[in-house]
Amino acid sequence: MTHTQIPRISGVLRSPITFSVLAGLVIGALFLVGTGADPFTAYGAVLTGSLGADGIGSTLSTGTSVLGMALALAIPLRAGLINLGGDGQMVLGGITAAVTGLYSPLPAPLTVALALLAGMAAGAAYAALAALCENSLGVPLLVSSLLLSYPAVSLASYLARYPLKEPGSSLPQTRAMPNGVALPAFGDSTVTIGLLLVVLAAATYWFTDKRTAFGYEIRMTGLNSRFAAYAGVERRGLTLKLMSVSGALAGLVGAIGVLSFPYRFVDGSLTAPGYTWTGLTAALLAAAAPLGTVVASFFFAVLAVGGLAMERTTEVPRELTQVLQAIVIVFLAARLRFPSGWFRRRSQATSQESPQEIGAA
Amino acid sequence: MTRPPVDPTVELRGITKRFPGTLANDAVDLTVHRGEIHALMGENGAGKSTLMSILYGMERADAGSIRIDGREVTFGDPSAAMAAGLGMVHQSFKLFDSLTVAENVVYAAEPRRFGLLDRAAARRRVRELAEEHGLAVDPDARVGDLPVGLRQRVEILKLLHRGARTLILDEPTAVLTPAEADALFAVLKSLAAQGRTVILVTHKLREVLEGSDKVTVLRDGRVVARLVTADTSADEIAAAMTGRAVDLDRVHAPGTPGDAVLEVTSLTTDAVHDVGLTVHAGEIVGIAGVAGNGQSELVEALAGLRPVTAGQVTLKGRDITHVSATERRAQGLAYVPEDRHAVGTAPAASVADNLAMGHHRTSLSAKGLLPPATVRTHAGRLIERFGIKAATPEVPASALSGGNLQKLLIGRELAHEAPLLLVEQPTRGVDIGAIQNIHDQIVAYRDAGHAVLLVSAELSEIRGLADRVLVMYEGRVTATYTKDEADEQALGLAMAGGAVAPTEAVD
Repeated sequence: MTHTQIPRISGVLRSPITFSVLAGLVIGALFLVGTGADPFTAYGAVLTGSLGADGIGSTLSTGTSVLGMALALAIPLRAGLINLGGDGQMVLGGITAAVTGLYSPLPAPLTVALALLAGMAAGAAYAALAALCENSLGVPLLVSSLLLSYPAVSLASYLARYPLKEPGSSLPQTRAMPNGVALPAFGDSTVTIGLLLVVLAAATYWFTDKRTAFGYEIRMTGLNSRFAAYAGVERRGLTLKLMSVSGALAGLVGAIGVLSFPYRFVDGSLTAPGYTWTGLTAALLAAAAPLGTVVASFFFAVLAVGGLAMERTTEVPRELTQVLQAIVIVFLAARLRFPSGWFRRRSQATSQESPQEIGAA
Repeated sequence: MTRPPVDPTVELRGITKRFPGTLANDAVDLTVHRGEIHALMGENGAGKSTLMSILYGMERADAGSIRIDGREVTFGDPSAAMAAGLGMVHQSFKLFDSLTVAENVVYAAEPRRFGLLDRAAARRRVRELAEEHGLAVDPDARVGDLPVGLRQRVEILKLLHRGARTLILDEPTAVLTPAEADALFAVLKSLAAQGRTVILVTHKLREVLEGSDKVTVLRDGRVVARLVTADTSADEIAAAMTGRAVDLDRVHAPGTPGDAVLEVTSLTTDAVHDVGLTVHAGEIVGIAGVAGNGQSELVEALAGLRPVTAGQVTLKGRDITHVSATERRAQGLAYVPEDRHAVGTAPAASVADNLAMGHHRTSLSAKGLLPPATVRTHAGRLIERFGIKAATPEVPASALSGGNLQKLLIGRELAHEAPLLLVEQPTRGVDIGAIQNIHDQIVAYRDAGHAVLLVSAELSEIRGLADRVLVMYEGRVTATYTKDEADEQALGLAMAGGAVAPTEAVD
């Protein structure tokens, strides 16, 4: 046993992920020192601000959206497909859920369920459109998904500003959901059962990835698409399915956003925090592995919430945490890792390249 | 002790190179004398490439010394090795396709006039060299337009232009027709006669016996035999390479063909014109041909990976001309593709995952579930049945040697028990020991009543296995032979485009 575990440990230590995260923290510390702040205090503030009693609720509700978007991006990424249209799909899901919530004649609990489903359907349909653009028109998915995102965001913005605008309000927002049309929250926190839904999605993804034939085909396509095609995995069908799932998850995040505080669709409130990009970063960091995606999402939620706390308690602006994120990604893209000699004494048994996933272990 | 008659040109002493987990070279001594053609033989992973990389300055040895012409040297990079008079022709040529022969030959050592390339001098130089060494090639031809055999000449000219006194050729005949290979050896012999030294890295016994003076055999990173070619035999070298007695050039007994399984009529697709063929149950049909004459395209079209422009393909009487690859597999087709790394496997995935492909929706899965335990058990079964050497089923396929990767691929496809098996280049780059095993598996598969279509550029393989042989040249089937008619000469001629009339109508 130890025979195989030791190289695995050293593999994780040597992986570009470890390197990137540590490099991000070290360079971030240099920035802090450069601006005259104490890195330990600042990082300490990030941790207490995000994981302390005051911050954990906020971290979990941010984490809900980040994890949702990370899954939305990780699932196609597992097959080597990149969905850059997360913003559009999420916003369409949000506005659809808002419309459903406002106009559904059903009792409140059913309306909530219907709004969630409608949001997912809208996101799925829109992502499927991007897939169809690639499958039948030959527009690369990267391009079709990204470009389709803008009109969707604009459409939702128009709806929130004009037809659905709350009368008398100066803000570009819809009316509030009717009484009871809201996701149940835990206690009086902002954490809703949306978190459970997203965690359930992560568990389903994990199960599919590990234990189903479909998950196997997705992984093999991601590792070598020609190999998968040779064995008869139909790429177009796979692209369509994965994009639909991806869009549905993005739509779910949008719907959860509308059915939680402030219980309405506010133009820009879904896109401004940058969940899509943070989610993409998390998915990339984890190489789309299910557990890794969950861990990375939590890490970024901690950074985002902790960054705000750091700004409050120290003089350091919260943009620092975004700098950290960016550095992590740049290092990751360069695939830098610790030189093999650093851990050689512990890993003489094998020469295998460390797997690029931390979660699937 | 008397002094040896000639001073050694290249002397490697105690070369040791350790990669994490393997000892690639273990105190290897290699002595090559001036004017000698010295074959360095060994199976894949025996350490030939590592040794040559060290000699050529691409890798650094952990221990040992190199002497060139009696002087101890250390090369930090290949240019230092070149400066010391070494030159290497790599397996994949390093030429600029869009430049002319002359430009390629003088590249990085150009004759200059007023600081600019002197084209006239370059052409003259190429002509001189070509004439002197019998390497006829047009200096003004674009390299991209030349056949492979001539490109290899350009590589050799390049080395001669830079004044290489010792030439290292890595598997030089892998891409050549038999006639081209013969021409190459004539050139090498004349170079050796002029006092240059040739180190030939190869695993082909025939050409070593015909073309070399001495043989050094490596196995598991160690020198296991130093032989004088004139005093040895193919069996002795093969035994040294594999560590056991090997029966070479076996011709397997013919099969007993039954009903037609695959029928192809007037098939046309990219690079394939109007090809017709039939493969029966219990029969191996071989397609011989130099790489790039439409064989790969033909097989891809049959496997459903390339659209068919015209013609018809039937499998067990059912028209599959336009159905998907998945559907074809369901109808009873298995396929071992030529490119093991890019198509036949996912090198980054585990051995177990690689062995599951194609079985993951059929025998291994129930209701869409694919339990990891089932995948592992299946992998364990195939690993044992086909003698695949893998530390565990969890190691990535990229950790396997070429021969083992091929066993994995062939084992996986044979396990489908499909009525039709398409096999492309089943033993390219595979060890002798593994070749035998793979051939036995294919023949056993045929004897179990399956139809096999075998594409190979290796004549001995075609002759050893195939019950009928078709030769493809420029996208057409230009000749058909029965097992008895298919001698090396007739096939070699047909592969080079010299087939007279085919013995059967092929349209």
